[in-house]
Order: sequence, then structure tokens, then C-alpha cells
Amino acid sequence: MILAAENVKKTYHLGRVRVPVLHDASISVAAGEWVAIVGSSGSGKSTLLHLLGGLDRADADSGPILFGGEDLRRFDAGRENRYRNRDVGFVFQFYHLLPELTVLENAMLPALVGLSRLRWMSERSALRKRTADLLATCGLSHRLGHRPAELSGGERQRVAIARALINEPKIVLADEPTGNLDVRTGNGILDLLSQRHAAGLTVVMVTHDVSIAARAQRQVCIADGRIE
Amino acid sequence: MYAPLLANRYLTSRIIPFIAVGAVALCVALVIIVVSVMSGFLEMVRSSGKTLTGDVVVSRPITGIPYYEELLKDIEALPEAAAASPIVETFGLLQMPYGTGDGGKQIEMVEVWGIEPSSLDRVADYASKLYWRKPAGEAGDESAEEAIASLALNNPLRDPMFHRESAGMSMKDDRGEDGLVLGIEISPFNQRSSDGSYRTIDPRTGAQSADYFLPNAGEVTLTLVPVSERGSLGGEKRRKFSVVNEFQSGLYQVDANRVLAPLGAVQAMLRLDSAPIVSTTEFGEDGRPTVIGESPRRATTIVVRAEPGVSALALRDAVKIAYQAFSSRLAKDPTRFTKPPLPDGVNIATWEERLADFIGPVEKERELMRTLFSIVYLVCAGLVLAIFWAIVQEKTRDIGILRAIGASRTGVLWIFLRYGLLIGIAGSLLGVLIAWAVVARINDIHGMLGSPAPLWLKVGSWLAVAGALAMAVRGVRRASALHTVLWSFLSIALSLISVVLLLHHGFLVWDASVYYFSRIPSSLDLFTAATTALGGVIFSVVGASIPAARAADTDPVKSLRYD
Ligand SMILES: Nc1ncnc2c1ncn2[C@@H]1O[C@H](COP(=O)(O)OP(=O)(O)OP(=O)(O)O)[C@@H](O)[C@H]1O
Ligand SMILES: [Mg+2]
Repeated sequence: MILAAENVKKTYHLGRVRVPVLHDASISVAAGEWVAIVGSSGSGKSTLLHLLGGLDRADADSGPILFGGEDLRRFDAGRENRYRNRDVGFVFQFYHLLPELTVLENAMLPALVGLSRLRWMSERSALRKRTADLLATCGLSHRLGHRPAELSGGERQRVAIARALINEPKIVLADEPTGNLDVRTGNGILDLLSQRHAAGLTVVMVTHDVSIAARAQRQVCIADGRIE
Repeated sequence: MYAPLLANRYLTSRIIPFIAVGAVALCVALVIIVVSVMSGFLEMVRSSGKTLTGDVVVSRPITGIPYYEELLKDIEALPEAAAASPIVETFGLLQMPYGTGDGGKQIEMVEVWGIEPSSLDRVADYASKLYWRKPAGEAGDESAEEAIASLALNNPLRDPMFHRESAGMSMKDDRGEDGLVLGIEISPFNQRSSDGSYRTIDPRTGAQSADYFLPNAGEVTLTLVPVSERGSLGGEKRRKFSVVNEFQSGLYQVDANRVLAPLGAVQAMLRLDSAPIVSTTEFGEDGRPTVIGESPRRATTIVVRAEPGVSALALRDAVKIAYQAFSSRLAKDPTRFTKPPLPDGVNIATWEERLADFIGPVEKERELMRTLFSIVYLVCAGLVLAIFWAIVQEKTRDIGILRAIGASRTGVLWIFLRYGLLIGIAGSLLGVLIAWAVVARINDIHGMLGSPAPLWLKVGSWLAVAGALAMAVRGVRRASALHTVLWSFLSIALSLISVVLLLHHGFLVWDASVYYFSRIPSSLDLFTAATTALGGVIFSVVGASIPAARAADTDPVKSLRYD
């Protein structure tokens, strides 16, 4: 098991009102697997994926989330940053690119985060080349100097995927990677993921579309805050 | 390595940082200008009280201090003292050369100072107080010519003006007789104009006239009354003097009431000069009492100037000790018939102590100013904080993204620290520059406000209005809301300015004839400039880093939901 969640609980608080979203949700993902999480809108798919990616905290009485046997809740600040930076790559439902940076810089950003100034000086051109190559495999070689605002939705999502892959993580967590795209563009994105999957990447993908979920090896369904 | 990249991108790819730099600059400039001008003004008011008195004043009114020349030497030998000068202070009547209209001549009640010009110059820059002076600069120098013109008299008086300065220093008229130097406000013909200079006018025509220039107008008569040691009044002494010059001390009360006369002349009139002492029991061959000694000359006041770097208080204490030594030495000396007053009988005080009544309110005002400055400062600080808060708040989503891809809290914070630091430094520097430019030229700016706008500016402003209106119309025809709005507002603003320019006939905020100081203080307060600039940087950094730190602390998912 590379990633596992056991009886995870998550409750949102809206003022005094408690909104329980996940109760005792469990999922386990083997290395090299491609899992699709399906469920209706508002069922808590994104919430679960955020917890798996270490972007949000589960309730105090929740069960553990384990990455290669390590409990995410035990991570200190440095380990948490490393987990987000190197161990997983996250693809958001709404791309979340930085508007002031170019396509190349956006895709390169996670690599820059872990780099000291000194190593940046020596590795700068190699890193640029590596990012440009990665973007080329995503079909973006002609867009390197553009700003996100100048791209289409599909192009933005591909930049976001390149960003998730740049540090060569073991797992990619993708939240509705095709949600805002037409079928053809969506298929292009899925092809990209399946290429990487073939090369050994573990993929956990959230979707509410059954036909897209069919591209994964295994589908799990989330309803009433539980995985069925 | 992403911090510099992002900080630079945030700085260069948006207009907001420029607005922030401008806002910081304006805040910094505002504080510096207000503080510099106001504290300059207060300092002017305060130090104007020091006129002609030096740093420390030794005084024994009416009967004076005998052997004061020795005391002067003792004081000048002190390492704390730079110079000392004797003065005889009294009151008197001054009969003016012009009439009251009913046949009599105008008589003024005046404060009379018998002075020694050369030593007083060393103590209190007497020469610089003389109003009718050879202007600074070389002859033929344009600014010198201008300065002569500003002396307010026409050419016939130009040459006398040059020798009047030396007459003011020697206090002798053309015939070598003693002359007086009057406060510039004593003569009713000296009229102060709005630039602070004086012109001598003919009261019937209102035009400039050399005939009414007091040093030209004839002799004045000074009446003094000597007072004996027992306090009884002697017969009054009258003496004619010519007026050799006039002086401006910078303090109205002094300029309107004080008359300066040669020390010897005043001593003689008050019987404070040296006189033989005769025996009451022994008589000479001719039946006259024998002369057994000489009573010394006296001065009522000694003014002392401190060496640079010595405080008035330190000098005062040194002078007190010197006076004690002087008085006990002379008390023991059997050859002196007259003894100087005991230390308790003389008042030795700093100029500030002497003018406590005058300075107290000024100091209070300074405190008030300080409070007002701090309010202005705080308002500006709040403004800078708010600007950065808004800018960084808008970047919350970016911070969420950065945290989600593994950026550390400190890394994220560093971006915005850099951002605030760069904007703060740029804004503060710009602010200091603006403040410096405004403060240095404040009198010119004021002068510009004071005179009607030139024709080209009036015409030009209306042309600009027309241009802006045309652009607004173009905006309407092109269906561009932004253009229409911008140009319409601009044309409204420009037409308001044009109307003001048209109606403006010059308006002086700082009327030198009212405020008495001829110029607005125009030196940048360096301490304020430095602290304000530093404050600008600090508030920029704090304003940028607090919301950034808050955003860096929240879970990325929450920041990403910020929309
Ligand atoms: N910050 C929050 N505060 C309160 N409630 C929240 C918050 N985030 C999510 N929720 C609620 O939790 C539930 C699950 O949200 P989540 O985004 O996980 O749904 P989802 O399955 O991803 O839906 P979709 O398919 O529409 O993306 C929703 O009902 C939502 O209203
Ligand atoms: Mg979702």
C-alpha cells in the first residue's frame, strides 16, 4: 500500500453548525495503481483528496492517513512541505496557476521550491530544459512564455499536470482533471495520465463521470461520507 | 529560489505596486514637510527671543556692576565662554524729528541699551542685525543689486547705504558725534511689505521717499534719568543724537521699543561713568576736598556667548563661579573703595531662563505640535498598512497554491517581506526627495501662489480643458465607458483648475507683515526625514508581512477557497 486512509473523519464548521462530510471513509491505493473516486456532487470527493494530499487536516478523532506507512498527522512542518512538494503531485479542479508567472515558470515552480540559490545558479538551464521537455510532452511547447490568462481551459489543465509531475512524485492526485473540458480535450488529458501510469505512476483521480472513471483500473464510490 | 522570482513578478507585472510606492512616498513626504516647516517655525519663534542677549546674561539693574571690565576679562578667560560684552540698560524718552500735528514733536517711550558694538557683535552678531547694510555679494553681482533694491530705497540712497553699515558699527555720525541705532519699527515711516522687507514711505503720498528715511531726517533727543544708589532720581539728562542706522532683531517687541546708543554716552548720562571720589574730612590747599580715589565705571548687564558645543546651562554655572571669585577678590582688595555687589545681588541666568515667560508657551506649542505630528504619522502609517493589507489579501489564493506545492511558511513570508521592503524603500526615498524638493523651494512655491497666474498658464489650462472634452466626446462615440469616465473627470478637474487660475490674483498664506518672519523656514529636518523614511519602510514591511503570515499559516485548502 503506498497510500491508505482508515476511518477518516472530516467535519466542517459553519459558525455553530457542524457539517459532517466524511465519516469513517477508508481507502487504500497500491503502488502503480490507477484509482478513480466517483460520487455525486457534494459527496466529499474533493475533501477526501485534499486530506490525502496533505492540504487539509482531518478531525481530531479521525483515523490515520498513511503514506508508505508514515502517518501524515505526525508530519512536522518540514516533512509536510516535502510531502506536498515531492511525494505527491496535486492537480486541482480549477487549475490554480499563478497568474503573474509564465507557463514555463508555473510548471517549474515545485522544482524551484526545493532549490537553494546556489543550486539554482548551476541547475537553472538544465531545469528549464527539463520543464520545457515535460511541457512538450503535454503538447504545450508553443506556449512556454504565455501567461495562464492567455490559455484555454484544457491548456491550463495540462500546465497544472506538468506542474504536478515536475518533481517526479510517486503519486498524482487529480481532482476532476477533465471536469471543465470537452470530451476530446478531456481524453487528451487522460491519455497523458495513462502514459505516465504506464511508466509506473500511481494515480488517484476524482470524477463524477462514470465514463471517465472507466479509464481507471479500479473505481471506488463515495456516498454519505463513506467509501463503498 | 522562487521568492525573488515571485517578488519581482509581483512588483513588475501590475500597477498596484506603483500606486503603493506613490502612496508611501506621499505619506512620507507629507510627514517630513509638515514637521520640517512647523518645527522650523517654532525654532524661529523660540530663538528670536534670544536677540542680542547671547547665551548667558549677568545683570544688576540700575546701580550696575563696578569694575565690570575686570569681570569681562575673568569671564572671557573661561574655557566655556567665547565672548562677553557690557551693556547699560535703562528706559528713556525719545523725541522724534517729526511733529504730532499740533505743533509739538512726537515723543516715544523707549528702552535704551548702551552698547559696545564690536564686543556685542562677537556675542550676539550685532552687525547682522543692522538693517541698512551693504548687501552681501560682490559689487555688480546681480543678487547684490537685487538686495540693494530690496532695501527699499531709490538710487540716491545707495551709496549712503554702504557707509551706513560702518556707521552702525562705530555709532558715530558723519561729524564723528555719537549716533543712535533705532529699532526698525520705531519709525512710523518704515513700512513692512508682504515679502518682509521695509520701505520708507512718505505718509502723505504713500510713495517711497528718501526724505522720511530716519537717518536722513534729522536729530532725535534722548532723555534719561539717572538713579542714585539710594534710589532717588537725579535731574534728567537730555542729549541730541543723529540716527546712524536702524536694526531688526526679529522680535517685534524689541524692534518697536529699543534704542541702541554708545555705551559711554549712556554711562555718562546715567552717571555710571567714572568719577573722582573726594574726602569728606580732608581738604586741599585751595579749600577743595582732596581726591582720594576714582569711582569705577559701571555696566548693568553683561551678555556672554558660549563656546560652540557648550550648553547655556554649563556656561551659566561657570559664570556664577567666576562672579563669586571676582566679587570676593575685590571685597578683600583694600585699594578699592567701591565693592561689587555680592553674588546674591546679581542675577546670572541663561537667555531661556530670562525669557521663561516668552518661551514657556512656545514649548507648550511644541508639545501640541508633537502630538499633532504623531497623529499625522499614525494616520499615514495606517494608510500604508491598509494598502499592503489589501494587496496581500488579494494574493491569498497564490499563497494557498504555493503552500499546496510545498513552499514553506518562511519562504512565502519572505516573498512578501521582500515585496514590502522594496516598495517601502522606493517609496520612502521618493518621499524624502519630494519633501526635500518642496521644503527647499517652499518660499518659491509660496511666491508663485502669491502672484497671479501668467497668461500662458491661463490660456494653456483652457486649451487642456478643450482637449480633455474632445477626448471625452471621442470616448462616447467609441462606446468606451472607461475613456468617457476618465476624460470627463479630467476635464471637470481641469476646468476647476482653470477657473481658479482665472480668478486667482495672488494669495499669500504666509504674510510676512503679519507673521513678522520674512521667510517660511525651509530646511529639511534631517532627523525627521531619516526616522520617517525608516518608519515608511517598517510599516510597509509590517503591512505586507502580517496578512502574508496569516495566509501562510492557514491550510492551503482554505486559502484556495478564497475567491
Ligand atoms: N470549507 C467548507 N466549509 C463548509 N462546508 C464545506 C467546505 N468545503 C466543502 N464543504 C461542504 O462539504 C461537502 C463536500 O464538498 P466537496 O467539495 O468535497 O464535494 P465534491 O464531492 O468534491 O463535489 P463536486 O463534485 O461538486 O466537486 C459539500 O457539501 C460542501 O458544501
Ligand atoms: Mg470537488
